[in-house]
Amino acid sequence: MGVVIRNLQKVVPLRRSRLRKDVDTLRHILGIQKFDLGIICVDNHKIQQINNIYRKKNVPTDILSFPFYEDLRPGKLPCPLHRDELNLGDIFLGVEFVMKQCREESVDLHGALTVVTAHGICHLLGYRHETDEEWAEMLQRESYILSEFSRLTGQQLESLMKRCGEET
Amino acid sequence: MLKSFVRVAGAAARLSSVSRALPINCPTLCAPSSATIRPFTRSLWMLNNNGASSGYRPKLFSSKVLGPSVSCGCEGLHTEGDKAFGDFLSDEIKEEKVIQKNKSLPKMTGGWEVGMNGTEVKLTKHASGDKITVTFNVNNSIPPNFEEEAVEQGQSQKSAEEEPEIVSTPNFVVEVTKQAAKHSLVFDCHFPEDEVSNAEGEEESDIFAIREVSFQPEGDVDWKETSYTLNTDSLDWALYDHLMDFLADRGVDNTFADELMELSTAIEHQEYIKFLEDLQGFVKCN
Repeated sequence: MGVVIRNLQKVVPLRRSRLRKDVDTLRHILGIQKFDLGIICVDNHKIQQINNIYRKKNVPTDILSFPFYEDLRPGKLPCPLHRDELNLGDIFLGVEFVMKQCREESVDLHGALTVVTAHGICHLLGYRHETDEEWAEMLQRESYILSEFSRLTGQQLESLMKRCGEET
Repeated sequence: MLKSFVRVAGAAARLSSVSRALPINCPTLCAPSSATIRPFTRSLWMLNNNGASSGYRPKLFSSKVLGPSVSCGCEGLHTEGDKAFGDFLSDEIKEEKVIQKNKSLPKMTGGWEVGMNGTEVKLTKHASGDKITVTFNVNNSIPPNFEEEAVEQGQSQKSAEEEPEIVSTPNFVVEVTKQAAKHSLVFDCHFPEDEVSNAEGEEESDIFAIREVSFQPEGDVDWKETSYTLNTDSLDWALYDHLMDFLADRGVDNTFADELMELSTAIEHQEYIKFLEDLQGFVKCN
């Protein structure tokens, strides 16, 4: 099945093919092409609702990750026994939230979505940023992914964790 | 919820009006069985009231309730049930007009021209040499699971204000015609039924989805079954995304789909009220 993209919002005009291409490049960099992945694009209202339900934070945000494997060691890919388990989970992209940030910082939307998605995929692969050690480990991984992305596509992207220190 | 309930109730009322009305208002039907297949005409009523057959009527039926309660010059049957049905429809039309948000139809943004032929709606626009036509029919455009949802809502004792509104989500066909091409590219689109799902682990669907894509002769009213039809069920997702972007570039995106839903809902409601008015007129024969 690969990457399933769903666009549930109408606030931000999205290029689905561009988003897919960028996500496919990220999957290639991480060597996770055989795993399914869901990318669901939502507006502020929806992501706030989900954020409130699952994190008790009643505010919109840029991304929420729902890993299929919840206890992965960071950097270790899962070894599923069945085809059904070749799944990393789902990422909800708060595209309205990201677009607002992009406007404020005059940044390209799709570039920002790639950065945010890379962050989300890291969470699906077991990375966390609750402690300083976890933070450093995740930042290092994200920086590697984005430098490889830049090398392959020519787009210069900066890690989300480098840009903002807050939890996402 | 009200409307769907009333639709069911309306059907029930129609049935009950037939079964209730016959013994009271058509005593002659109680006599020879052949009468049940006779057409109801003015002469039948005249027979009941003062015709030669009045002598055959049992005493029980020779009371003041014999005559039709409603009469007009249409020479058709008018029963107590019809009267009750007409009154019911009158109330229903009043209520539907109260909940009708606006008598004028919502506007489509994006430069679409709206044309209507009965329940069929055609939206047309031109974009950089391409002609884009979107057609849909409001008939059967209310999702069938609506009533179940309405019942669930009722069971949770929510107030009328919290009841889900009826939303018309018709299948729609997008036809893209290029100036130089002999064929139009035709997209058969729909609103997935689980679009209005909650965030608790249910599968999320796009606001609208492409079901099939094919080339069809331009302006041809008949769908050519011999044209290759690309079904999106087993399609490469990358190709699907390009097709969605292709539509978005021509103004068929989530905003459009949302506006189409609003327009279709308004038209469906308008047509429903019109149908009720026609039905009322038919029952009353005014």
